[in-house]
Amino acid sequence: MKKIDNMNLNKVRFTIQVITFLLIVYGGYIGLDLGDKLPTFACVFNPEGTGGKCYLGMIQHDLDHPWQAFLGFAGIAFLISLFIFVLWVWVLNKAWCGYVCPLGTMQDWLTSLRKKLKVKFIEYDWANRESIKKVKWILLILLLLLPFMVSNSLLGLPKLPGGLTMPFCDICPGRMLIPAFVGDFNQFYIDFSNPTDLIMTSLGMIVVGLFIVGSFFKKRFFCYFCPMAAFQYIFSKQSLFKLYKDGSKCTKCGDCYNACDMDILEIADDIKNKNLVTEDCTLCLKCVAACPEEGCLEANFAGKTIFKSTKEGFILRMAMNQQIQKESNND
Amino acid sequence: MTKHSIETPKEKQNRHKAMEAINTINTMKDEFKNPIAAMDAFYELYEDVYCKQKALHEDAIKVGTMCIQIPSEIIYAFDAVPIRLCNGFYTDDEIGSDLLPQKACPLVKATVGHFASGNFSDKPHFVYSPTTCDQKTKAGATIEGFGYEVIDVDFPRMKESEISREYFRQSIKEFTVDLSRRIGKKLTRKRLKNAVHKIGYAQSLYHKLCEYRKKEHVTISGNDMFFITNAFFFDKIDSWTEKTQRVLEELKQREKENITVAAKVSPRIVYTGSPPIFPNYKIPMLIEQSDAVIVADETCSSNRMFNDMVAVDEWNIYGMLDSIADKYLKACTCPIFTKNDDRIRRIIDLVKTYSADGVIYQAFAGCTVYELEQRSVLEAMEKAGIPILYLESDYSPSQGGQLSTRVEAFIESLKMKKRKQG
Repeated sequence: MKKIDNMNLNKVRFTIQVITFLLIVYGGYIGLDLGDKLPTFACVFNPEGTGGKCYLGMIQHDLDHPWQAFLGFAGIAFLISLFIFVLWVWVLNKAWCGYVCPLGTMQDWLTSLRKKLKVKFIEYDWANRESIKKVKWILLILLLLLPFMVSNSLLGLPKLPGGLTMPFCDICPGRMLIPAFVGDFNQFYIDFSNPTDLIMTSLGMIVVGLFIVGSFFKKRFFCYFCPMAAFQYIFSKQSLFKLYKDGSKCTKCGDCYNACDMDILEIADDIKNKNLVTEDCTLCLKCVAACPEEGCLEANFAGKTIFKSTKEGFILRMAMNQQIQKESNND
Repeated sequence: MTKHSIETPKEKQNRHKAMEAINTINTMKDEFKNPIAAMDAFYELYEDVYCKQKALHEDAIKVGTMCIQIPSEIIYAFDAVPIRLCNGFYTDDEIGSDLLPQKACPLVKATVGHFASGNFSDKPHFVYSPTTCDQKTKAGATIEGFGYEVIDVDFPRMKESEISREYFRQSIKEFTVDLSRRIGKKLTRKRLKNAVHKIGYAQSLYHKLCEYRKKEHVTISGNDMFFITNAFFFDKIDSWTEKTQRVLEELKQREKENITVAAKVSPRIVYTGSPPIFPNYKIPMLIEQSDAVIVADETCSSNRMFNDMVAVDEWNIYGMLDSIADKYLKACTCPIFTKNDDRIRRIIDLVKTYSADGVIYQAFAGCTVYELEQRSVLEAMEKAGIPILYLESDYSPSQGGQLSTRVEAFIESLKMKKRKQG
C-alpha cells in the first residue's frame, strides 16, 4: 500500500492513458469490442479501429424516433441501453474522463507539449467559472432534445431537418481527431449540400480548431464544456469509485486546487462533504498526489482505499527528499 | 595599570541580552533530563549569535523580514539571506516601550527596540514588512524613522475569497520584482526551483522530527524543538540542515535505547498562541519544568513555518510563484484573519495526531489578535472535550510565580486524569 501511496502518479497515469488510448482507438483491429454504450469518446466515425462506441452518439441515434415508438419495444431497448451506460459509470465513475477518454488524453498530451516548450498556461477567470459550468448541461439537453425533435413535433413547432439527427457528433472534436489517429482525415470537411449541414459542419471545424489551440494553453480546455461529463455526473453518486476527503485533516492550503486541471475549488475549500467527485471532476487523482496531509484525500473503490495522500508520498513526488539537487529534475 | 573604560549603551545592551540568552541556554542544558548531545550545536549557535554577537552572513545580502509571510524561497533564489526579525529579548522590549504605546505587544516592541538600538550582528540591508497585524503594519513606519528601508508588502486579511488569492499572488510577484531590482539579479527558473527544494528539504526534516513526537515515548522536548525551529530565523540554511540531521540521527538511536524526555504519566501538551521566540521561552520552559512535555505546537515561530510545503504542478517561474503565494496565504492559521476556523481545526487535529492531553494557549499582553481569538478557541476546545489553559504573559523576567502556579495546577489536573484512565 505504501508503495502505491508513494507512487509518481503522473507517470502511472500517463502509462494507463497510453494503454487505454491504444485500446479505445486501435482496439478494434485486434477484435476488441466493448459495446456501444461506453461513457467515453470511443468514436463511431472510427469504425474499424475503435474498441467500443460512445454512448452519446448512440443515444442521439436512439432518440430519433416518433414518441409512440418508445411505448413499445424501442422504449425498453432504450432503457436497457441507458442501464448499461449507467453500469459502466458505476464501475469507473468519472475516471473514464481522467484515465480512458481519448480526447482527455489528447489534451493532456498537448499540455505536456506546452510544458516542454515552457509556455505558461492560462486559466479561466474565476469570476466566470460558474457560468462556464452551465454550458455542458445546455449541450447535454440540446443533444438529447434535437434528435427527438427531428422525428417529433414539440409544442407545435415544426419538425427539425434531418441534418440534426446527431447534432453533438457534428460538433464533437472526437469525430475529426480520433479517425485522424488511424490515418483517416475524411472527417475534416464542410458540407455545403444544405444550410443545416453547412452550419453544423462549420461549427465542427471551428470547435476542433478551438480544441487544439484551447487545450494547448488551458489544461483540459474542452472538458469544461463536455456533455458526457454532465451525463456521467447524473449517475456519479452511486458509483463504486470515489474521491473522498476527510475535512478534519484539511488545512485548506490549496495544493490540491493548484494541481487540479479543472480548477475545482471545492477540493480545497469544502471541509464538510466526504464525496468530492464534483461535476467537473475527472478523477485524475492529481489532487490526492498533491495533498501533503496524511489520509486527507483518498481514492476509494467499493469501500476500499486504493490510493491516499501521505506526507511521505508528497515529499517524494515533490522531490524534497534529497538534499543535493540535480539541476533539472521533475520536469 | 589596567585601563578603565565606561561601558557604552550598545555594550550594555549586548551584555544584558547576553545575560538573557545564556540564562535560557543554561536552563536548557542543565535542568532537563536526558539532554540530546546533538543539540549542543544549536546551543552554541545561539551563544555565538546572542552572547558573542558573531555575524553569520558577513558577505551576503541580508533581507530582513518582519513576519512569516515573506517567502524565504524567493530570497534564497536571489542568493540573498532572509533574516526574520521577530524578537524575543526583554532588553529590546524595554527600549521599544519608549517608542510604542504602553499596551503594545512585547514582540513588536522588542523588534522596534532592536532597530532603534541599531545593534545587529547581521544587519539587514533592507526590510520587507507584510501588512499582517495592526502593530507590525504600523511598526514599519517607526522603524523607517531610524533610517532603515522598510518595504511594505500587501497581505490580505481575509483568505477564503478568490480575490485574496489573486491579490496575494500579485503582491508576491511585485515583491519578487522589487527584490530583483534591489539585488540586481534576475530570477531564473532553476534558481527558484532549487530554493523551493532547499526549503522543502528543511521542512521534510522538521516533519521527520515531528514523527518522534507522535510516539508514545517522546525523545525530544518541545523546548529543544523551539530552539531548532527558531534557529531557522537566522541560521545558514545548509548548516541548519546539517545540525538537524544530526539531531535526527541521535533521536533514532535514542528510540532504540528508549531514552525519553518525559515520564509515562507526563501530560502531552499542544502549545498554541503568541510565538515563543528566543530567549523568551518562559512559558514553554515552565510547562516542561512542571513535568509535562510539549508534543506539538501551533505558532508562527515553529509549526507554521514548517508545516506546509510549496506544492508545484508546473515547475516554471509563474507556477512556482503562485504556489509559493498560496502556501503563505492559504495554509496560514494566523489570527489576523477575519474568521479563523482553520486554526481551531489545526489545533484539534494536532491534539488527535499527537495524542495530546491538553492545550496551553499563551497570548502576549498586547497581542490583540491572539487575545481576541481566545474566546472562540476556548469554546471550541470545550466542545471537543479538550482541556485548555489560557495564559497571558509578557517578556518580563518577573511574574514567574503566578504563572507557574497556574501551569502546575493545570498539568497536575491532566496527570490525575491520566492516572485515572490508567
